[in-house]
Amino acid sequence: MNPLQRDQPMQPLPPSSTAGREAIESALLAWMAEPDWRRDEARFEAAALALFRFQYGACEPYRRYCDVLDRTPEKVQRANAIPPVPTGAFKEFDLRCFPAERTVQSFRTSGTSTERRGVLHLDTLALYEASLLASLRRCFLTDLAGRRPTMRFLALSPQDAPDSSLTHMFATLAAAEGSERSGYDLGPEGLALGSLALAIDAARREARPIVLAGTSFAFVHFLDATDDAPAAGASPAHTGGWRLPAGSRVLETGGFKGRSREVPREVLRASLAARFGIPEHAVLNQYGMTELGSQFYDSTLVDPTGPRRKLVPPWTRVRCVDPDSGDDVPIGEVGVVVIHDLANTGSVAAIQTADLGRLLPAASGSGEASGFDVLGRAEGAEQRGCSIAIDAMLDPSDRTGRRSVHTRSGREPAS
Amino acid sequence: MSKLEIQWPDEAAERVRAAQGRLERAGVALRARSLANRIGAVARVLEDWTRADSPWRRELVESFSATSPFSRGTVAEGLESALRAWDPAQLVAAAERELACGLPGPDGGLPARMLAPFSYTAVLAGGTIPMPTLLTSLLPLVLGSPVLLRESSKDPVTGRLLARSLAARDTDFARAFEPIELPTEDGDALASLLSAPCVVATGGDETMRAIAARLRADQRFVAYGHRVSIAIVGPQATGELERIAGAIALDVARWDQTGCLSPIAVLLVGLGAEARRDVASAIARALDALATTMPRGELPVATRALHAAERAEARMRAASGRAQLFEGRDSLVVLEDDAELRPAPLHRFLRLLPVASAEALRVALDALGAPLSNVALAGFPPEKRREIAAELARHGASRITSPGRLQTPPVDWPRDGLPLFTPLARFASQDD
Repeated sequence: MNPLQRDQPMQPLPPSSTAGREAIESALLAWMAEPDWRRDEARFEAAALALFRFQYGACEPYRRYCDVLDRTPEKVQRANAIPPVPTGAFKEFDLRCFPAERTVQSFRTSGTSTERRGVLHLDTLALYEASLLASLRRCFLTDLAGRRPTMRFLALSPQDAPDSSLTHMFATLAAAEGSERSGYDLGPEGLALGSLALAIDAARREARPIVLAGTSFAFVHFLDATDDAPAAGASPAHTGGWRLPAGSRVLETGGFKGRSREVPREVLRASLAARFGIPEHAVLNQYGMTELGSQFYDSTLVDPTGPRRKLVPPWTRVRCVDPDSGDDVPIGEVGVVVIHDLANTGSVAAIQTADLGRLLPAASGSGEASGFDVLGRAEGAEQRGCSIAIDAMLDPSDRTGRRSVHTRSGREPAS
Repeated sequence: MSKLEIQWPDEAAERVRAAQGRLERAGVALRARSLANRIGAVARVLEDWTRADSPWRRELVESFSATSPFSRGTVAEGLESALRAWDPAQLVAAAERELACGLPGPDGGLPARMLAPFSYTAVLAGGTIPMPTLLTSLLPLVLGSPVLLRESSKDPVTGRLLARSLAARDTDFARAFEPIELPTEDGDALASLLSAPCVVATGGDETMRAIAARLRADQRFVAYGHRVSIAIVGPQATGELERIAGAIALDVARWDQTGCLSPIAVLLVGLGAEARRDVASAIARALDALATTMPRGELPVATRALHAAERAEARMRAASGRAQLFEGRDSLVVLEDDAELRPAPLHRFLRLLPVASAEALRVALDALGAPLSNVALAGFPPEKRREIAAELARHGASRITSPGRLQTPPVDWPRDGLPLFTPLARFASQDD
């Protein structure tokens, strides 16, 4: 009997071996294939503790950290007590639970050539891709899943950004769910508006929904470079501006800093909805980071009438904790976002971000959370006491104390 | 009957325009006085703020403590040390030095250049520390340019107190200075403010570019960008370890390490592993001692989050023998085992970076990634100190000083490498 299967009683944890990891992954793949997203905390606990035992044994820097904190598998009895590693640790250590020679893919966080960049090493893409597809189908494609819509990406292609997790995600999505006309409209030279316009023309002629996805800063450049008129170089048939056919949707992710002007998330969403002629609930934001195997999507297509929030796949757990004590803050209160992502089998599953967020209560009044909201993060030395206020004055995203940026690991997207 | 309050949509912009009108009128009286007279008048106001029994400084300590994120001990020590370091005579000397061409000759002859002050100057106060607000508000007055001070939302008291101190000294100067509070989101008010013929602002590069983009070519823009300050400790420091460590701790604790003059890191040049550990331990002890007299202000949750992330990351490296942590009650010192620059969460979070040699120091300075402001040097023989100072100047440092004095520059320190007055002035020559 597999202890990780639904509705099964807790069983002894698997050994901290590769075989143990394979058993966990097998169970997780089955979990990700389930059509509904019912939370099953007992199942999560069992899987998390089993995975912790494996990762403690297989990842030396993590084991040392846990030892210093005196939180070893023998002492940790619940998933929330498993030590999360800060995202910065992915810059400092090779956090992998397998020999380096078995690496099949390394995703890197964005940064300049001289900066140390965070790296997620993977020895298999099966779980990674299963997780991303399950979430995208459930939260973003919804009724378009299996209908192979055309997908256009305002992101670099795999050839241009081979170590970008975001690009890999888009490529995986296009291969699994996109039409043959899917492709990339951003290159090293910038936006390719002509090809995007042609794809939109075609979708409009066929009255088929189209999917647009890309980095937030690329969409800002798109908004700056276009208006409601047809794009230069577009086909003669492109007479409807940038309006998308009914049922189309847009996915944006990542920040802006240094790549475009910064735009409050709400303003970007409204601008994209207006430019593409789609309802705002069809413009989704993704919260993800290179260090994670899973991502989090706005709820608006799944629950158009509820508050916009990030949905949590059942094989992940999102907590908001007090920065000092590490204890969970009450639902609705602001804390540091800690993510426990079981899809991270080959590295470390529990991640401590520097992002602030809050859990949102379920409408049922059950006292459980229905999702979470990301509020941004603090800046470091670049925000000094002698200038912080004036920067805020000219940065409308900071008016409410919320920053509009940094929804992908607090850094620019890895594209 | 309830009181009905109507606020027009452009109320803030209208307040700016009204203030501009008043200031332009006040400028006539201000410029009617000689340059030498204005220099003397501003020096007297500065004296009122810097003398030992200054009532203005005392009042600022109380009012700023109540509104700022800093503890009262930090505010009191910070204002006392910084303002007492300002010598009005140095301000006068700097004005006479920089503006000599606008002053009458020794024989009473005509000045070599005509000083053509801007009709008024808009100063955008940027932060949580009063000294830049005080100085940037006073300097244009010397030149005969009234000042419209946009108060920082983080400091609603300094400008108003300065206005009262001017009024107590000199009616013309009082009329020539107006602090104004503007809503952050009011674009019209900001546009009005930025219509000033001379604009002074401090902020990040993007902010400065954003302001510059809004100005006309004929407007003067004096921009003070983001800078970082550091301390550099050499091998001779071990002889006076406690004194140097205490001084560095004071630099860190002042304004909770959030000023441009606060050291974000200490570079340990040419020190062995044991000496590095001794320095780190001594600084940590000194910081912890300051937690009693100058406790750190309460941190917002976002800052605590950043601290938590960086602390956890440092602990993880420490667990693998790649860093050492020295934790105090409200401070953290991280002794790194390489010179790589890592995030600086500030608020008494200090990194010590080992640097093997002077050559490696050059590499470390290059890697800072931000222009240098002030640098505190200690523990080097005089010749080496001069050599390093020259290197620092090449890297943009505008002041080389000693530990314990980073936050207390003299009033005539060339901030961002700029003279005090000439960037704010216009000059004209007159051919025979």
